[in-house]
Amino acid sequence: MKKKRNLKLGNVVDNGQQKKFRISSVILNIVLILCSILTILPFIWMICSSFKTNAEISALVQSFLPKKIIFDNYQNVLQKFDFLRYFLNSLVYALIITVITIYTSAISGFVLAKYRFRGRQLLFTFILSTMMVPGVVTIIPRYTMMQQLQWLDTYKALVIPSIFTAFGIFMMRQACTAIPDEMLDAARIDGAGEFRVFHRIVFPQLHNSVVSIAIFQFLWAWDDYLWPYLVIRSGDKQMLSVALNLFSGRYSTDYAGLFAATSIAIIPVVIFYLVFQKRFIEGVSASAVKG
Amino acid sequence: MHARKKKYRGGHNGGALKNIVVCSLVIFFSAFVVIPIIVVFIGSFHQWNPLKGEFSFLGLDNWKKVFGSDLFWLSMGNTVIFAAIATSFRVVLGLALSSALYSKLIKYKSLYRILYYLPTITPLVAVTFVWKFIFDPQIGLLDKLLQTNINWLFDSKYAMIAILILTIWKDFGYAVIIFLGGLYSLPRDCYEAAEVDGANSMQRFRWVTLPLLKPTVLFIVITSLISYFQTYIPVMVLTQGGPGTATYLSSYLIFDEAFTKYNFGYASALSFVLFVFIAIMTGISFKVSGSTQTE
Repeated sequence: MKKKRNLKLGNVVDNGQQKKFRISSVILNIVLILCSILTILPFIWMICSSFKTNAEISALVQSFLPKKIIFDNYQNVLQKFDFLRYFLNSLVYALIITVITIYTSAISGFVLAKYRFRGRQLLFTFILSTMMVPGVVTIIPRYTMMQQLQWLDTYKALVIPSIFTAFGIFMMRQACTAIPDEMLDAARIDGAGEFRVFHRIVFPQLHNSVVSIAIFQFLWAWDDYLWPYLVIRSGDKQMLSVALNLFSGRYSTDYAGLFAATSIAIIPVVIFYLVFQKRFIEGVSASAVKG
Repeated sequence: MHARKKKYRGGHNGGALKNIVVCSLVIFFSAFVVIPIIVVFIGSFHQWNPLKGEFSFLGLDNWKKVFGSDLFWLSMGNTVIFAAIATSFRVVLGLALSSALYSKLIKYKSLYRILYYLPTITPLVAVTFVWKFIFDPQIGLLDKLLQTNINWLFDSKYAMIAILILTIWKDFGYAVIIFLGGLYSLPRDCYEAAEVDGANSMQRFRWVTLPLLKPTVLFIVITSLISYFQTYIPVMVLTQGGPGTATYLSSYLIFDEAFTKYNFGYASALSFVLFVFIAIMTGISFKVSGSTQTE
């Protein structure tokens, strides 16, 4: 041990250390590449399989890449099961929820950050604490509520319980706190009412948080499963994730079709992510800063 | 606290805008969170079946049934084990890979980041279907890669492991991103000081990085535990709690009792237990993280 220490002087050591660096660099790179392969392998396998025939998928000897690329699976799936319809349902639902929550989060965040009133801190703490309540705990009363309001099987049951989100309000409150009061007061002196102050002065400055919330809210809505599964009954109103389950129940042996169907649900999200990846990663980091 | 008060002195009382927003917030969160919790509590003392329109007082029967039920204790045990293992893997993998990515020896950092985060953003239900095929003994990829012949989802020894593999694969990237953000925000001079003192990279990690990253680690541990206590989608899609009862998790048990057996009263009692359990866990976590922050 001592000898090694002494050797750490002079040129000999530099060479030794360089070698050590090179070895650890190779090891690190191998580990990271291996993990990357394990991470994306399921996606690549899914896409490759979606172009194979059923016979090729369940053959004893398999190759990773399809022998001949066929598009029949996608055609079949779209004919047998109206995936385009479910895709559009999910898209419209996710977009509506995203637009609504961005607006409600921004205005609530603004009120909680910029106005003084009794119980403000209490209200904010209360909203935050609702984030800790597991969704599955309140699902029974929410379901019976929808039943009593006769909202079952309507989009009201999907949209109205999602109008506000505690996560969005939290993010927007942080963003609004950073806006200087003087700016708002200046607008007020010019005669702007409170609604105008919010829409003209505050909202345009929140674009970073708008993007973060939009991304997450869109993905969460796209991923919603249990709630649409429970409250939507008619097939043609259903969301893509639930339709996927229905499809797999009905055509459980049509592996190729299932691969095509899951690809339809996953690939658009992956493309969306790859296009906006920088925003995504900024958004996650921003949402965790509260820790 | 004082500074904060000062900052808001110029604040406006808000008028109509404030009143509308505050009222909507109170109504919304009461209607969809507070009242449901109260209804769950009341419902737990009733024989409650929405299909038959039945809602009659039962006293403590549902509660006795919950605590006397083997399946309840088994699902709680499964949930705790599942959450503990999934959280540990997430933290360890996240720390290891983010430290590796942080190293100066690595190029293409952002490419790795994009790839690792990919599973986290993809829709869980669809991805779970892909894994259902990966675990399939006939067409599955996993048995082929491992050269094994395991029927992952139908063997009670392996079913929970399968759900864990899926969960770890899906979620580790989030931890990598968060830890990497934490690493970049650490003060550089601590490292330089440690390097001057002759600490090797392992020692630097143990004595410099880890203590400084503690708040981030706690954040990941707390948020992971809370979300893993509520996991049910992989169970619904992959195993339906089976084989036998091997993969029953608490949230799945609630869903099963409520929406396949329509035992709303019994399921309400289960829900309330889960609610209290998670509330206590959250309270403890905040105590722990609060005490380390004031250290």
